[in-house]
Amino acid sequence: MVYAKVTEFLTIDPATIVLTLCNTLILFLVLKHFLFDKVNKVIDDRQNEIAESYKNADEAQKKAENLAAEYDEKIGRAKEEGAEIVRAATVKAQSRSDEIIAEARAEAKGIVDNANDEIEREKKIMVNQIKDEIAELAVSAASAVAEKEISLEDNERLIENFIDRVGEQ
Amino acid sequence: MDGIGQGPKVAFTLPIFGGIEITETIVIGWLIIAAVLLVCLFLTRGLAKVPTKKRQIVAEMFVGFVNNMVETTMGKRWRHYAPYIATLLVYAVLGALVSLLGLRSMTADFNVPLTWALMTFILITFYKIKSGGPGGYLKGFASPIPLMLPLNLLSEVATPVSMAFRMFGNVSGGAVITSLIYSALAGLSKLAHLAFDVGGVGFNVFQLFIPAVLSVYFDLFSGCIQAYIFATLTMVYVSGAAEEE
Repeated sequence: MVYAKVTEFLTIDPATIVLTLCNTLILFLVLKHFLFDKVNKVIDDRQNEIAESYKNADEAQKKAENLAAEYDEKIGRAKEEGAEIVRAATVKAQSRSDEIIAEARAEAKGIVDNANDEIEREKKIMVNQIKDEIAELAVSAASAVAEKEISLEDNERLIENFIDRVGEQ
Repeated sequence: MDGIGQGPKVAFTLPIFGGIEITETIVIGWLIIAAVLLVCLFLTRGLAKVPTKKRQIVAEMFVGFVNNMVETTMGKRWRHYAPYIATLLVYAVLGALVSLLGLRSMTADFNVPLTWALMTFILITFYKIKSGGPGGYLKGFASPIPLMLPLNLLSEVATPVSMAFRMFGNVSGGAVITSLIYSALAGLSKLAHLAFDVGGVGFNVFQLFIPAVLSVYFDLFSGCIQAYIFATLTMVYVSGAAEEE
């Protein structure tokens, strides 16, 4: 290159200043637009993504912990419920069996009582029948023995005495 | 490296407004912009949430480095400043390192650090006025006592001037030293009868390795550290101006 002119070692040249200012601004825009904006965007995107994925992981862990706690609680409750059901069933069965036994007892008692009453009644009937028969027998026996008319009063008295005697035996 | 202590050469003259002289500083700036644009396009091709390419990792490392630097120096809410700080860093580092390609360091032209220092100064003033109001800004010069007014004004102006001269001085000083070393080594080679003339091109043995080692400090280290210092000072001043009161 052939230089037309050499400037002084230390000069202040307005043209150079203005052009250097322009050059600096151009270089600033070049660096900002073609390097910093692009690279910063990528770095920020990456940081956001990392933060996001950390957040998601934390959330997922929290959710899993919550679910585990919930399931634990549910299982505990189910066990309790089961135990409660068994206990209630046992109590119910116990009371039902008691009831049935009591009923059976009452019924049996009723049957026995009825049977006793029946026996008593039958006995009475039988006793009366026997009394009648004995009386008849006694009368006929007495008539046969005495062959005489016994007054009604004597008759009655005799029968009574006889029966009582028989009854005592 | 002819002409020790010369300013940037005029590359061409734009035939408008009575001829605007475009110096090599500006041309190198354009080359850097083009190179950075290509690198950016390459690095950000096929960006994915899950990086699969090495170039994405390189891009993320660089962006992460600058973001982290801005966030630790200025605070989280200043992250939008990262591209501007990256611009200063990249431009200053590459502007100093073009000297390795045999070009004139861009930041060895006083106009370049001056421009950046003025930008920083404008930002400082903007945030001071924004945080304290125009009245508060003007009152700030007379605090803590009105007697301090000249000193405060001086320190306000000194900020951009010192920033500009610090970077310019370091980088151009490095360039001057490098060219001085080259000519000294050429003389030394001639004295030791180790200078040859191969097909019209001067060839000095002592110029082979020694400048490379020294260049690591004067061009590489100095250029990078000055870029870092400039970027850090900008961050500190701007966030400091915004947080006053």
